[in-house]
Amino acid sequence: MSLKFISGNEAIAYGSLRAGVKVVSGYPGTPSSEVITSLLKNKPEGVYVEWSSNEKVAFEIAAAASWAGQRALCTMKMSGLNVAYDSLASVAYSGCSGALVVYVADDPGVSAGMCEQDSRGFALMSDMPMLEPASVEEAYSLTRFAFELSESTGTPVFIRMVTATALSYGGMDLEDPPVFPEREPKLIKDIAKYTKAGSAICLDQHSDVIERLSEAGEIIRGKKINRLSLSPKAGGLGIIVAGAVFPYLEEGLRLVEEHGFKIGPVSTLKVTATVPFPAEEVRSLIKHCSSLLILEELEPHLEKDLYIEAHKFGFSGKIIGKLDGTLSRIGDYSAEQVVKGIAAAFTLNLPAGIFGDEYKGEKLTASRPITTCAGCPHRGTFLAINKAIKELKFKKDEVVVTGDIGCTILGMNPPFNTVWTEISMGASIGFAQGYYHSGVKTPVIATIGDSTFFHAGIPSLVNAIQHQVPLTLIIMDNGWTSMTGMQVSPGTDEKFQQPGNQRLDLAKILPALGIDHFKMINPYELEESTAAIREAMTLPGVKVILSRQECAIQAMRQGKRYGKSTVIEDNCNKCKLCITVTGCPAISLGEESIVIDPALCYGCGLCSQVCNREAIERGPVKDVL
Amino acid sequence: MYYDIYLVGVGGQGILTIGEIIAEAALKLDIPANFYPTKGMAQRGGFVKAQLRLGSYNVGPSIAEKGANLVIAMELSESLKALRYFKPDGDFALYSSVWSPTAVMLGKAPYPAVEEVLAEINKTGGRTIHIKPEERPQFEGQPVPENVYVLGAVCRHSSLGRFIDPEEIRATIKTRWKKGIERNLYTFDAGFNLNNQD
Repeated sequence: MSLKFISGNEAIAYGSLRAGVKVVSGYPGTPSSEVITSLLKNKPEGVYVEWSSNEKVAFEIAAAASWAGQRALCTMKMSGLNVAYDSLASVAYSGCSGALVVYVADDPGVSAGMCEQDSRGFALMSDMPMLEPASVEEAYSLTRFAFELSESTGTPVFIRMVTATALSYGGMDLEDPPVFPEREPKLIKDIAKYTKAGSAICLDQHSDVIERLSEAGEIIRGKKINRLSLSPKAGGLGIIVAGAVFPYLEEGLRLVEEHGFKIGPVSTLKVTATVPFPAEEVRSLIKHCSSLLILEELEPHLEKDLYIEAHKFGFSGKIIGKLDGTLSRIGDYSAEQVVKGIAAAFTLNLPAGIFGDEYKGEKLTASRPITTCAGCPHRGTFLAINKAIKELKFKKDEVVVTGDIGCTILGMNPPFNTVWTEISMGASIGFAQGYYHSGVKTPVIATIGDSTFFHAGIPSLVNAIQHQVPLTLIIMDNGWTSMTGMQVSPGTDEKFQQPGNQRLDLAKILPALGIDHFKMINPYELEESTAAIREAMTLPGVKVILSRQECAIQAMRQGKRYGKSTVIEDNCNKCKLCITVTGCPAISLGEESIVIDPALCYGCGLCSQVCNREAIERGPVKDVL
Repeated sequence: MYYDIYLVGVGGQGILTIGEIIAEAALKLDIPANFYPTKGMAQRGGFVKAQLRLGSYNVGPSIAEKGANLVIAMELSESLKALRYFKPDGDFALYSSVWSPTAVMLGKAPYPAVEEVLAEINKTGGRTIHIKPEERPQFEGQPVPENVYVLGAVCRHSSLGRFIDPEEIRATIKTRWKKGIERNLYTFDAGFNLNNQD
């Protein structure tokens, strides 16, 4: 045993090792990425771990490992589950052989971006059990249980965490993973289970998946994974608390008491396995209590089932939750929602100012839009797109520039205001085609990062080529999956790939697709980049521009500098053009001239190319590609 | 005993390191800790916050509004985002450094003055510990690291020092970095011995 300070994500990683996982796959996505990051760092002998090209591929790898009898884990953020779901639903209906655990991290309160979706809906749709750890310790122990549950019932099992539980750290005693006997893979040929050929097979599988979930429900009930605690005397309030909300219950009850309210005996049901619905425990609570409060983040999934049970048993007391308007479907929870829920249940008049709404000072906060880092190669691409549009005499709102997921979306913010849309991985290219077919007469530009292109951009580009859509696709290739914390992508330099892996070079792949016009640019060379984009915008057919420079953060971590930009004070009249146009965080306004922070500056030289007074000397540049 | 700390600042100031050091010291004293850093999409210069909850095993990562016994704010404007989480009888440590967003630098957007921010903190009824960046000392010709300096000041002048022995925090700093022990301890002590409060 050793006491470690670990995050919820790391606890999933340790728990999986403890459970004898053999194959782990996933695609990076905040707040889920650290599971694989930490496994890649200390990967034990005999465990296979990879970043896959997308979540669907990742899931298929894990699922097949399970079908061959091994224990497998697949990780993703909620948006990734949307991508993986086609294969996932199919495998859920087929069932699994070795344990198959799918870890998904939702983001209530949205600290990382994308839809505030509730992935429990996916578990309901594919009849898969879902376990929701409320702490680091639970993440560890429930992961082990998830593997057991999956293998004993033959159903893939979800573990769902939210940002707060996935990314927060707690101290915990870790056991050393036991040494598992190596399992021989089994090749099982069973078309009734592993294909969907024919309605008889499909209908049987539908019946099987329902039965497996019910069996999993029995095991969950037998092991008391959902904890029911009834007050000694019948009556009073019953509180149902789902997953990550549970740790706030004690604090909420304490706050209510601190404000001088006595609420009498409270019964609780801690729902850790949110799917299947813990009907039996809920029934006990309904029979025991005179009013009910349900606390769950995001969608009222449990609450709706609670209403059904309440109806069946003729419950006439109050049900407080979202459906009566007390609590919100939006945002994450803390002890505040517990207090508000209890107050509604007892019609307490909470004193004004119990929470911080009265403080208006926050309104004075200066707005701080996120922008690209100093030296970011995307800056050069955004500037070149803007310049090309201008030089072709278009107004900025006449040329649609679709955007994609990752750091490349930062082009939507000032000072660039280049990118118009952000939908899902790879969607920039499909959207560009739709805009063209709608009859838009001006050039259409799509922008995407390298990892995103590998993830889901390729099918869209294939479609554009087949249908000969005259669009300009700009792939901003910085060699890394950057925004999620610098993971390796298929295009990352060979020396950072796992041993024996191969790098795929976009400069070789793209021309082979039969594109009418392909050009590679260096985004640090503004004139050349602008000319290339301008030319592409005027040519017919599909044009692809590969804008390539390594992510400056990663390059600097390797000790690289592209060049060195120096201010020539005498020439600077503080016109601020460099700041207005580039928005580079390394530049600030000094007393006599602008100032470049040498610790931040990567020497990309874009500021020097933007300056019209020769006040920034660029110096010699190095080829650091 | 519970003790909640809400930390705000911008990326690059080392605000998360402050939280990690306190958490590490707490664990060494067998005080349970839950540390929830939120970087979001912030690179250098972007908004960063963290929540550190000490004293209970059974606690969720997020601090309720008006719940934080201590706020540690390292950027003047961003400090305002901590107001609603600040307990009225708590300590608000403000290190009033200014990281101007581009629009502010260009004179196109407003930025709050120190007096305005101090007035807003005053409205809460809590105690302000104002640590002035211009008074940050130097060590061997270089300004000392801001985060360790602020941590030193907070250990002495806020209620944190009564919850966690400052000596344990000092010891944690000593073991955290292999290099620059002398510089970091000098910095911590400089903050600890700071004597200018308003």
